Amino acid sequence: MSKNSNSLTQLALQKFKKNFWGVLSFWLIVAIGLVSVFAYVLAPDNSQNANQMHLTIHSKKPGFKVNILTIPSEINNDQSFLSKIFYGEKNTDTEIPISEFKADNDKLVYAEYASDGLIGVEKEIALSTFPNQDFKPFIKERTFLFGTDKYGRDLLSRVLIGSRISFFIGFIAVFISLVVGIFMGSLAGYFGGVVDTIVMFIINVTWSIPTLLLVIAIILALDKGFWQVFIAVGLTMWVEVARVVRGQVISVKEMQYVTAAKALGYTDFRIVTRHILPNIMAPIIVISAANFAAAILIESGLSFLGIGAQPPMASWGAMIKDHYNYIILGKPYLAIIPGLCIMILVMAFMLIGNSLRDALDVKN
Amino acid sequence: MSKSKLLSVNDLSISFSSNSGEKDIIKHISYTLYENEILGIVGESGSGKSVSSLAILGLLPNKISKITSGEIVFNNLDLTKLKPKAFEHIRGNDIAMIFQEPMSSLNPSMTCGKQVSEIILKHTTLSKTEAKAETLSLFEKVKLPLPERVFSAYPHEISGGQKQRVMIAMAIACKPKILIADEPTTALDVTVQKEIIKLLKELQKNEGMSIIFISHDLALVSEISNRIVVMYKGEIVEQGDVNTVFKTPEHIYTKALINSKPSLDVRLKTLPTISDFINKTTDYTVVSTEERQITHKTIYSKPPLLEIVNLEKEYFSKSGWFSKPTVFKAVNNVSFKLYSGETLGLVGESGCGKSTLANAILLLDKASAGKILYNGVDINTLSKSKIRALRKDIQIIFQDPYASLNPRLPIGKAIMEPMKVHRIGTSNNERKEKVMDLLERVGLDNDSFYKYPHEFSGGQRQRVGIARAIALQPKLIICDESVSALDISVQAQVLNLLNELKENFNFTYIFISHDLSVVKYMSDQLVVMNKGEIEEMNDADEIYNSPQKEYTKKLIHAIPKGL
Repeated sequence: MSKNSNSLTQLALQKFKKNFWGVLSFWLIVAIGLVSVFAYVLAPDNSQNANQMHLTIHSKKPGFKVNILTIPSEINNDQSFLSKIFYGEKNTDTEIPISEFKADNDKLVYAEYASDGLIGVEKEIALSTFPNQDFKPFIKERTFLFGTDKYGRDLLSRVLIGSRISFFIGFIAVFISLVVGIFMGSLAGYFGGVVDTIVMFIINVTWSIPTLLLVIAIILALDKGFWQVFIAVGLTMWVEVARVVRGQVISVKEMQYVTAAKALGYTDFRIVTRHILPNIMAPIIVISAANFAAAILIESGLSFLGIGAQPPMASWGAMIKDHYNYIILGKPYLAIIPGLCIMILVMAFMLIGNSLRDALDVKN
Repeated sequence: MSKSKLLSVNDLSISFSSNSGEKDIIKHISYTLYENEILGIVGESGSGKSVSSLAILGLLPNKISKITSGEIVFNNLDLTKLKPKAFEHIRGNDIAMIFQEPMSSLNPSMTCGKQVSEIILKHTTLSKTEAKAETLSLFEKVKLPLPERVFSAYPHEISGGQKQRVMIAMAIACKPKILIADEPTTALDVTVQKEIIKLLKELQKNEGMSIIFISHDLALVSEISNRIVVMYKGEIVEQGDVNTVFKTPEHIYTKALINSKPSLDVRLKTLPTISDFINKTTDYTVVSTEERQITHKTIYSKPPLLEIVNLEKEYFSKSGWFSKPTVFKAVNNVSFKLYSGETLGLVGESGCGKSTLANAILLLDKASAGKILYNGVDINTLSKSKIRALRKDIQIIFQDPYASLNPRLPIGKAIMEPMKVHRIGTSNNERKEKVMDLLERVGLDNDSFYKYPHEFSGGQRQRVGIARAIALQPKLIICDESVSALDISVQAQVLNLLNELKENFNFTYIFISHDLSVVKYMSDQLVVMNKGEIEEMNDADEIYNSPQKEYTKKLIHAIPKGL
C-alpha cells in the first residue's frame, strides 16, 4: 500500500535491498532452505537418510563413476507420494557396484567392483529376479559428484539431506530462544527491581555454564536424539536474547513515548507489546541472525562429539566426524565438503545479520 | 565610525545532498564582520544560521555538503578553498567557537583545568606550569568562582553555567580574533543566560575581539549585538544596525519574529503569527484587566478541580554500601488549588521540581507524602484500575513531541489507540472519523492520518501531540514545557491553538515552562517554584507587576526584553 511506504520498516527494507552482500546472503539462505525442504527430490540417492551403502566403493573421489546393478526387493513398498518426497523412499533394494556383467541362459553373471585394479568376485543371479527377465534397466552407470563416504554412500545426497538438520536447528533453536528470551528480558527490563535481580541471576547462572556442557546435560536429561538437540540448543541461547532485550527495554522505557503511553492509561502488557517491542526489533533481529549461525555451529559440534543427530541420519557435523581422519589419508574432500557447507551457511547468516543491522539503523 | 573588515562572506551558497537529491541550504548570503563588534545572527531552526558559521570554520560534514558558490575572506585568505591542514592553524588560534551544549562539549574523563591547558600547550610554546597559570587567569577572566577548585574539578562536578564558562575560557585561550557563539545560552536558565551574556559583552570589550552571536531569540540577540543579520530559509532577509532592525523592521518575517513573542506588557487575545503578517490579518484585541476579573470570578466561585496539599517527593541516593542514603527533596511542601476552566502557570528554573510535580499529579512517579485531591478524592490511594480510568481525565502534552510519539505507529493509529483503550467510540470507523475531526481541529490535513512522526515538522508534531491528548476528552491537561522546543513563530501558533481549544472544550491547563513571558501570557494564576518549594503564588499580572520575593524579581529581570 502506498500509504505505508514511509514507515520505518519500509525504509529499512529499501536500504537492505541496496546492500549487495545482504541480498546475496538472503537468496543463498532461501536457496539452502528450499534445498533442505526438497532434499529427497534433488538427491541422486533418495533412499531414507541417503543410506544406500556400497561398501566396495567407499571413500571415492568426487566424480567417481561405476556401473550399479540394482536387485529389486521382494518386499512391497506402500509409501505415499508425499512421504517419499519429504522423508525419502523406504528402499529395500540391494545395489551392487559391478565391473562387468553378462547374461548366461537364465542367469546374470557379474563381477563385483573392486578398487585398486583388483578383480572382484564373480557372482550370478537368476534372471527371474527381474521383472520380465529384463535386467537391462537395472544396470546403470552412476556418477558420484561429490564422491562416496566411508560406507560407500553418495556424499552429495548426504550433504543435501544433512542441510535439513543444520537449517532447522537454526530455526527451532532461534524460535525457542526468542520466545524465552523476549519474555524474560522484557520482564526484567520493564519491571526492574526484584524481578530484574531474579532474572539476571538466572541469566548469569546459565551464562556461566559452558554452552556445550549445558547442552550435553540437557541431552542426557532428555535422552539422546535429534529433537532433544534442537530444544537443548534453544534453551541455552535464550540468555543472549534476554540480555539484549533487557538492555534495550531499559533504554526504550525511558523514552517519552512510553511515558506518554503510561499517561494515556495503557496496560503494561500493551505498552510492552505495542510500544516497546516493535521499537527494539532491530537488535533482536540482528542477534537472531547471529544465534542462527551459532546454533548451526553448536549442532555440528555436538554431532561431531556424537551426541547430536544419531546415525544413519545425515548431519554435516556428523559427516565431518566420520571422515576427519581421512584428512591425513589424502581424502580431505570427505570432511572438507560438509565443512564448507557449514561455513557458507553460517557466513550467510552472519552477513545477513550485519546488513540488517546497517539497514535497520534508520536515524532520520 | 568606519571599522576595518575582519571577515566577509560574499555570495555564499551551500547545498546538502541526500538520497532525494541536492538541496540548497544557504542561498547567496553576504555579510561582513568588522573588528571589535558583536554581530548577531537570528533565525529559526533550519534557517541555515548554524551551517553558515560552520562553513567559516570549515567544519561542514564534507561527505554530504558542498559549497556551491561564493567565498569567505579572512586575512586575505579564502576560507572555502583552504586545505584541512591549514585550517588547524586558524581554528582555535584566530577563530574559536562555543557550542550550545556545554554538557556534551567537555570530555567527562578529564579535569576542566587539564582540558583548557591542553589547548594552551598545543597552540603556544608555554611550559606546563606557565600554562596552568594562564588557565587560572583565564578562569578568573570568565568569572568562575574558585578557579583553583574548577581547575581540578571534573565536568560533572560543576554546574551548567560554569561549564559554559569553561567552554568560553577554552575558546578565548589563544586570544582569537573572532569568537563564534552558536546558541551558547539556549540550554541554560534565564538567570544564568543573563550572566553569560554579560560576560561575553565584557570579554569582547576587554579583549577587543569580534563575536558572531547566533540565536533564535531576537530579544536576546538585540541585547548583546551591535549589528543584526536576520536569516530565513537560507537567505538573509534583513541586516543592519540593531536599533534600525529592531525598531523599524522592514521585512515581514522580522516583524513577525518581533511580535510573535508574547508581550510582557499587554495581553493580546491571539498572538500574531507569520501568516497573519503576510495576510495582514493581525488581531490586536487586548484582553483588559476587567474582562479577566469577570472570568476569574466565575471560575473561582466553583469548588476546585484539583487540590494539592503539602505534597512532597523525595529521592534517595546511596553513595556506598554502608553510608547513609542522602535524601533529596525534589518537591517540598507544595500546596495549591486549581479551579475548573483556569490556566495555572508554573514557572521556575531547571531543577526546581516543576516536572516532578507534574509527574506526581499524573501518578507517573508517586509522591512520597501529601495529598492530591481530584474532585475531592485523593488519587494517591486509588487502585490500579481506577488510576487507569482516571488517566482519561488528566492528560499531558510533552516538551519534545517527536520523542513522545512512537516512531513505528502512523499518526492516525497513535491517536486512535487511547480511544480504543478507554472505549471512546464504538467502532473503528467511528473512531477514525473522530480522529479526522480532531486533526482538522488542530490544523492538520486528513492525509496526516497515514503519516509517520518523522514526516512532520516540529510544530506539526506538537499539534499531533495535542490531538492525542484531547482525543480522550480530558478535563485537565498538563503542558510540560510544551512550546519550549518550538521556534518562536510556531510557538505563537501552538499557544493560540491551546487557547482556542480551551475555549471550545473548557479544558483546565497546568502550564509549565521556564519562560516567564510565555507563562504570563497563558495563565490566570501563576506559581513560581524554586528548589522544590513554592516561592510565590498569585494572579499572573500581579506577580509580574509587583513581585514580592527576591527570586521572582531576579527571574523577571533576567528575561531578555530587547530594546
